[in-house]
Amino acid sequence: MASLRHCRGLWNQFANNNLALKPDRLPFLNNHRVKGNFTLFSRGVQIYKGSGKDWLPTLHVAVTGAAGQIAYSLLPRIANGEMLGEDQPIVLHLLEVPQALSKLQGVVMELEDCAFPLVQGIVATDDLRKGFADVSVALLVGAKPRSQGMERKDLLSSNANIFAEQGKALNEVAAKDLRVFVVGNPANTNAMICAANAPRFNPERFMSMTRLDQNRTQYMVAQKAGCKIPEVDRVVVWGNHSATQYPDITHARIKGESARKVINDEKWIREVMIPKVQQRGAEVIKARGASSAASAAAAIVDHMRDYWHGAGDRWCSVGIPSDGTYGIDEGLWYSVPVMCPGGHYRRILNLPIEEFSASMMEKSRKELVEERDAVRHLIPKEFGEKMYTAKKNSSAASSAAGKKTATSK
Amino acid sequence: MSEAPLFSDRPINVCVTGAAGQIAYSLLPLIAGGKVFGPQQLVSLRLLEIESALPVLQGVVMELEDCAFPLLHSIFTTSDAKEAFRSCDVAVLLGAFPRKQGMERKDLLEKNAGIFKEQGEALNSEADANVRVIVVGNPANTNAYILKHFAPKIPEHNITALTRLDQNRAVSLVARKLGVPLSKVSDVYIWGNHSSTQYPDIFHGSVEGKGKLSDLLDKRYLEETFIPTIQKRGAAVIAARKMSSAMSAANAVADHLHDWLLGSDRIVSMSVPSDGSYGIERGTIFSFPVRVSRGGRYEIVKGLELDEFSKRYIKVTADELYSEKAEALALLS
Repeated sequence: MASLRHCRGLWNQFANNNLALKPDRLPFLNNHRVKGNFTLFSRGVQIYKGSGKDWLPTLHVAVTGAAGQIAYSLLPRIANGEMLGEDQPIVLHLLEVPQALSKLQGVVMELEDCAFPLVQGIVATDDLRKGFADVSVALLVGAKPRSQGMERKDLLSSNANIFAEQGKALNEVAAKDLRVFVVGNPANTNAMICAANAPRFNPERFMSMTRLDQNRTQYMVAQKAGCKIPEVDRVVVWGNHSATQYPDITHARIKGESARKVINDEKWIREVMIPKVQQRGAEVIKARGASSAASAAAAIVDHMRDYWHGAGDRWCSVGIPSDGTYGIDEGLWYSVPVMCPGGHYRRILNLPIEEFSASMMEKSRKELVEERDAVRHLIPKEFGEKMYTAKKNSSAASSAAGKKTATSK
Repeated sequence: MSEAPLFSDRPINVCVTGAAGQIAYSLLPLIAGGKVFGPQQLVSLRLLEIESALPVLQGVVMELEDCAFPLLHSIFTTSDAKEAFRSCDVAVLLGAFPRKQGMERKDLLEKNAGIFKEQGEALNSEADANVRVIVVGNPANTNAYILKHFAPKIPEHNITALTRLDQNRAVSLVARKLGVPLSKVSDVYIWGNHSSTQYPDIFHGSVEGKGKLSDLLDKRYLEETFIPTIQKRGAAVIAARKMSSAMSAANAVADHLHDWLLGSDRIVSMSVPSDGSYGIERGTIFSFPVRVSRGGRYEIVKGLELDEFSKRYIKVTADELYSEKAEALALLS
């Protein structure tokens, strides 16, 4: 029997190199590893007391928009080991537009001044091919913000161009175990464009964020029910990371009981919770005078940590290429609930969808179809609409809650 | 060192002043996320700001809520120092009057003396008797001295100021200069004032597997490059960012508090009240190398050899602190 340390090294290699495609190939799917001086805590976060000798092979992590607000909150929480583990040394690749390179130098100086032992090097550049070279984790935070008088369709197409270029660069130079997490808005469509331009990689490797909205909903539910945040589970955020997102607590549980029963206030859910989560971003801007950076960064750390190390039985919401279930067009990047066994995700299928939920989900689907149509010219013909030849057997391994799927298309 | 919670039956009460500011924005997620006090310690935040910043503080609170931190037990906001310090176990004093264009150093000292007098009195009457204090707002050492002066009930040694940032900068520069991993560099200390007279001392340091730093770095490099670079790094970051260091300052505060409260195998630099060691006047808040142990205990490392080179730098920074101290006391009487 190989030593535990050797097994862990093997596990990480498998987790990093094999993806969602053939989950039955992955060994060591038990998520509750407790051994030696590694301890598993209540939230499923594994804290490793590595001492350099126990460190894994160095990983290259890229962050775009690296001189921006979100990156400023995010980078120290990657570099201190919170995201990928305290035994995971990294090289940070910081990407910015040419105009922001001098500001980026200030960020590099501060990262140096933090004396993070895990950071083996920092690359700061505006060159995509240098920035994405050998990268295993790409956090695409940067995007073109909406300027005064800008039409939504212009915002869409200028960002689509950016993400098409990034997809091409990733295709050329990134490591073969690449994972991409898109935060820059419009996140879902940007993730799709990026994936479409990186045919070397399985599109499932490209995810878009709705974790911030999930965290916000979780907080609101905990506050309303008077319980602790870790006691709330199975909150789902469906759809687009925009005002049409649908925060859904019909499946949510508080300490094992149905959250809806505990809260016992449908009016609050529909008239207070949902709009509040949808508009929270604007509320924060109004109070702070700046958009959410710390909470967005926290959501990125949360998602990547759960995805990377596993999240046990907890449900996580993330924008991923639809496999046609829940009535969502194949190949649309749509936020759905998943479970994270460690290194990949598994869709949660066959959830019962009520009429109200179906109508909310449909609104978001429509918006995403419009967005896709607006940038169709940037999707290579080979990618097409049916990019995802759904491997139904890989979905069968996911947990099913019985009953029917939504049938509207 | 153990990562078990300091208080297993209740949250730790942490007061942060200047809570709507830049450093707080980088620091609060580290505190609430479990990075500072350990992954099993619940935290209750008490956030203090000046009245005009309370609306912005509300936005910060919203964001902390939106992070859904499992360890964050409660958040309390106020503009009243007494309320903020009530029953607090740890006080992180980030807030201070910032230096404005055309302001004399004397004016800066005067403004801050007033603030830290008030906060010292509030801590004295409201905080838990075992409160651990870290002063970050500049001029940190002298602000801490004033605070200490007006908080006689608090054991003197529980009032500290930040020089961990300077230590982190120094260690990082050594590692970059020598091309070695950071984790292999040890025992680089900061002596003195958190200002441009600070003395980053490598003479007790070493690189694992390579030998002593005093053999690897010559005095000329130290005098002409290393020491001035560290002394002026704050200004260099401002020049590059057009704002002062927030991320690295917050990280240093997190390191300082973590090591102080939970203990560390390594010797760390902290500005603490001098007990007369190394000829530094008793009571001066001076950065020393200290050994820290779990529960918020530290002791100044005694008996380190200091050659003429080091003594020269230490004298300069000590003299600056004595004159700041005298100026501050004069203003307050």
